[in-house]
Amino acid sequence: MAAASSSTQTPPSIPVVFSTKTQYQLPPQKFMVPASWRRFQLSQLINTALALPRVVPFDFLIRGVLLRGTLSEAANGEWKQEETLEIEYIESVMPPTRLAALPHEEWVSSISCSVPGQSLPHELIRWYIPHIDRAQTLLHTAPWHPAPITSFTIVSSNKASSEQDVLVVTASHDRTAQISRASLNGTETTSTPLATLHLHDAPIADVASNQSGNRILTAGWDGLIGLWSSSIPEIDEVPLEAIAAPERKKRRKVQEDGSVKTKAPSAVLRSHTARVSAVKFSSADDAVSCGFDSTIRTWDVERGLCSHTITVSEKPFLALALPAVPATALAASADRSATLFDLRTGTSVAAAVKFTHPATPAALVFAQNSESQFASGAYDGVVRIWDVRSATHEVANARVWDGQKVLGLDWAGKSWPSPAKVESKYGVPVQM
Amino acid sequence: MASHVANRKRKPTAKEQLDASDVESFPGGSLDSLSSDEEEDRLLHESDKSDSDSVDAFPEIDTDSDSDTEGGDDVDDVDEGSSANDEEFPGSEDEAQDIEGASSENDLHIFPKAKTVVSDITGQPKKVYPEIEPDYDSDSSTEDAPNRIGNIPLHWYDDLPHVGYDIDGTKVLKPARGDELDKFLKTVDDPSAWTSAFDKNTQMDKPLTAEELDIIRRLEALENPDSNYDPYHPTVEWFTGKGKEEIMPLSAAPEPKRRWIPSKWEKQKVMKIVRAIRQGRILPSKPKATSSIPQFYAIWNDEPSSHAPPPLTAPKLRLPTHSESYNPPEEHLPTEKEQKEWEATDKEDRERDYLPQKYSALRLVPAYGQFIQERFSRQLDLYLAPRIQRAKLNIDPNSLIPKLPSPNTLRPFPNYKSLSFPHARGRVRCASISPDGAWVVSADEEGAVCLWEVIVGREVKRWSLNEKVGAVEWCPRMDASFFVVGTEEKLYFFMPPNLPPAIRLATKALLIPSALSSTPATPSLVKWVNFPHEPAPESPHLSVDLPASSGLIRQIAWHRKGDYFATVCGHHPCPTLITTTASGGGQGAVWIHQVSRRHSQAPFKKIKGSVQLVLFHPSRPHFFVATQRYVRIYNLAEQKLLKMLTPGIRWISSMDVHPSGDHLIVGGYDRKLCWFDLELSEKPYKILRYHSRAIRSLHFHPSYPLFVSSSDDGSIQVFHARVYSDLLTDPLIVPLKILRGHDVREGLGVLQVRWVPKQPWLVSTGADSTVAVWCH
Repeated sequence: MAAASSSTQTPPSIPVVFSTKTQYQLPPQKFMVPASWRRFQLSQLINTALALPRVVPFDFLIRGVLLRGTLSEAANGEWKQEETLEIEYIESVMPPTRLAALPHEEWVSSISCSVPGQSLPHELIRWYIPHIDRAQTLLHTAPWHPAPITSFTIVSSNKASSEQDVLVVTASHDRTAQISRASLNGTETTSTPLATLHLHDAPIADVASNQSGNRILTAGWDGLIGLWSSSIPEIDEVPLEAIAAPERKKRRKVQEDGSVKTKAPSAVLRSHTARVSAVKFSSADDAVSCGFDSTIRTWDVERGLCSHTITVSEKPFLALALPAVPATALAASADRSATLFDLRTGTSVAAAVKFTHPATPAALVFAQNSESQFASGAYDGVVRIWDVRSATHEVANARVWDGQKVLGLDWAGKSWPSPAKVESKYGVPVQM
Repeated sequence: MASHVANRKRKPTAKEQLDASDVESFPGGSLDSLSSDEEEDRLLHESDKSDSDSVDAFPEIDTDSDSDTEGGDDVDDVDEGSSANDEEFPGSEDEAQDIEGASSENDLHIFPKAKTVVSDITGQPKKVYPEIEPDYDSDSSTEDAPNRIGNIPLHWYDDLPHVGYDIDGTKVLKPARGDELDKFLKTVDDPSAWTSAFDKNTQMDKPLTAEELDIIRRLEALENPDSNYDPYHPTVEWFTGKGKEEIMPLSAAPEPKRRWIPSKWEKQKVMKIVRAIRQGRILPSKPKATSSIPQFYAIWNDEPSSHAPPPLTAPKLRLPTHSESYNPPEEHLPTEKEQKEWEATDKEDRERDYLPQKYSALRLVPAYGQFIQERFSRQLDLYLAPRIQRAKLNIDPNSLIPKLPSPNTLRPFPNYKSLSFPHARGRVRCASISPDGAWVVSADEEGAVCLWEVIVGREVKRWSLNEKVGAVEWCPRMDASFFVVGTEEKLYFFMPPNLPPAIRLATKALLIPSALSSTPATPSLVKWVNFPHEPAPESPHLSVDLPASSGLIRQIAWHRKGDYFATVCGHHPCPTLITTTASGGGQGAVWIHQVSRRHSQAPFKKIKGSVQLVLFHPSRPHFFVATQRYVRIYNLAEQKLLKMLTPGIRWISSMDVHPSGDHLIVGGYDRKLCWFDLELSEKPYKILRYHSRAIRSLHFHPSYPLFVSSSDDGSIQVFHARVYSDLLTDPLIVPLKILRGHDVREGLGVLQVRWVPKQPWLVSTGADSTVAVWCH
């Protein structure tokens, strides 16, 4: 405040009021700030005003636009003299730096950090799941599918199994999904396939499970969404003849062991007219899906009905992410944009915020427990961290790989986006 | 008196007239010449001449005869009215006779003419006028007043005792009309009663005149009622006869020869002059001695003629403004921008013809810069020479651009490269997208056939053929899934992995039928070779061997139903050798294969030119065959040529047909792209020339109104092509986007472009060993 009042004389000053949703609250007070100040000075101002023990960098949002230059530039045109400028400040996100790269032999299509202490990158074509612990060693590789795996999810562990056991559902190009159990017992990691899910006539694009871990959704290229329970059946629910094909020798061998059961869906959600590219549970009974037919649909899973459809024109959606409170949905489309849709509005075309990328965004993920921060990975090999309130510019970005695509992305912990990547490498950039 | 003679002549009937003429002894008198007064006069003159009576004596005779006739003729008259009628003609005739008697016979003078006599007293000739006699003839006061009511219907007076009024206004009473007995008696008494008729005007019977009777007689005899009409009139020679020949100014005679040959006489005459000039006898330009000094006169010395209007005064010059001052105030000085603008505009367009300039002192003002220029233009004015006129076209250049909708309104169309799929080596000649739009198969010249996903770009399967691949095409069937790869003289059929069981079985049954149909009776040049029932995953399921040395298979064109496909063999023509003759593509170049029957046939026994491309019509049994310069359309059902299109391209490189089947685009190595409306004409509807190098590939989008062309200049051009179902509206072609991203290698750019079905996405293969996916 002293600094602010001392510097009021020289350049024109702007009365500002700061607000925040972070823990660093300022008392509601009007500051006179020189118009030539930039983010750094404002951040300093807040740090000194709060007398923080450790310097916390802040970013500033003026009417939803991230402050990039001076205050006068940001307020140019819209701000009138003698009017109080409201500035929201958020904790700065530093550009992520790469900590390590874990090479893979094949393309990695999906990654999950939801197992404590582990992350599961998921190779696309070698049909196995390598487990990697924090020591960055490959723990386990499981050849589960005869065709490329497109996606996987970790079903929340149920009480029956031990704490070290996780249920993993994988979706593959071979038109099936598979439930497997991976045991992470100390140094030895084993995995056993439990059941295969048979519904789709085309490759499965995405698989999702809900919080309680009793339901699984699969999204297929044939426009169907299958709803499954996560319980393992005692007997084959789908006759083997229906799936028998001469080229599936490997599968048959596995199935001849008798341990892998076939499983039929408990419900089929039909409404999409083209490929369903992603599906997510928004609550225990509700799901959101998006597809190439440029629609985002919310589903009442219990009744198997499409409760709401958002139709936009010519936006084949590729990826979907839901914030911690799923009132909105973020979907990436092939027209190089990620769009935030409001799911609560009753109208079909919702007010949308568009985040434009220079390349096709293929992976989207919200920060854990965050409603505003998300990361996107695009085909130009750049991971961008965005704030929902600032649509024009990303908060930070990091070029992870040159000329290679980012296909999967997950946050490890609160502030660790870990992109999965293509071609023989796997990296975990870490934010400082 | 003559008038009485004439009157008498009119009055009596024909018989009496004869008597009267006898009595009066008129030698030249004839009945025919009694129609008018003048006629009478003429006759009278003749009679006078023949009489050769003394002129003086005539009036006296008149007076006597007047009384005589009065008495004699009145006997004939029925009543007073008739006698009054007799006196109708005043004395003009008398006077005329007097005059004629005195002077020339032909003169017809109303007024008396003077007679020249020698005066007895003076001995000089004098004019003596006949005396005016105040006698009965000259005064009409004694005449019975005629009826003066004019030309009104007389039945108005039917009920009145009178028939009208005389000149004094007194009533003219109706004459007493006797009864029938009196009439009868009258007819008995009066011999002229039968030649009289009732006169309404006088309400009494009047005898008809001789002329009237004559008209009646002529009408009865069916003759012309005009007594003067002579049916046997002698011919009047107006234009014929002696001295009246028509002299025509034109002649039909041909032009004489002398008109065309130079006149010898003139030549002699000219030669004579020439000789005289040569000998110096004639000086050709003899100095005019008198006019050697120029004659001047002061044109302005004379006063202007007073008739002309005074010359207009020149308009007053505008007073100079502040800005024209040599030291104007600062606000009048132009800014830098204004100065540049002033200099940039043309002289004629400048608002003012000077730029204000500031000099601190008058002595610093330089000489007038425009001095020479102004003198020059003044000279031009004096010479009446036009100043230089700029032909300035006031055309807004934007108005010349055709009105096309903005590309932004025609979204979606591909506008960026989403991903690129690298091939290891070799040009990627061909790519094909599965009918569901999920998979791409691309093949390079090294023989690698890659199957990959459109949106992720991950290779799923790769086949190595170790042969140059010229064409790859996915079968359009939805119930079976396989694609055909064309290499040199061989066709391979491949199945993608991970098919649903139903489709997989159907495809297998199609490609590897359990019961092979018996080999065709006639040995064909084309062999269909099956691979073992459980082939290795790397090997094809079926292959077709084309006859040897047929060359690389350049194109595979599927029929819409997916049973027939056509192949074109031959070698890819090198773009740099366009002028060389075509290699391959002869009659053995085109084959049509049927998958279900495993049968191949060559549709053309003989074909003109080398076949470049073939296409099936999307809905009708038509077959497009593009040779080097023409596109022929055949009807396969009737086996005949339907149409021949002439695109005007020197070497056709690519061709595609619109999904509606009514439009065809043809691209050539000479950079032209022709749009054909097949309903319209055999000439192109539109010729586009946007590429800077040879066009390599064209493709219509199956569902969106888009088409794309790729070229050796490394660019892909996307067009909006909306086709209207109503025949009157022309197709709308809008260039949308130029996509650059492929490198040009060895003069080759983008070799093939294909649309992804159901999405506005594009897959392009390049000579730089990459395949690119372009998204909207």
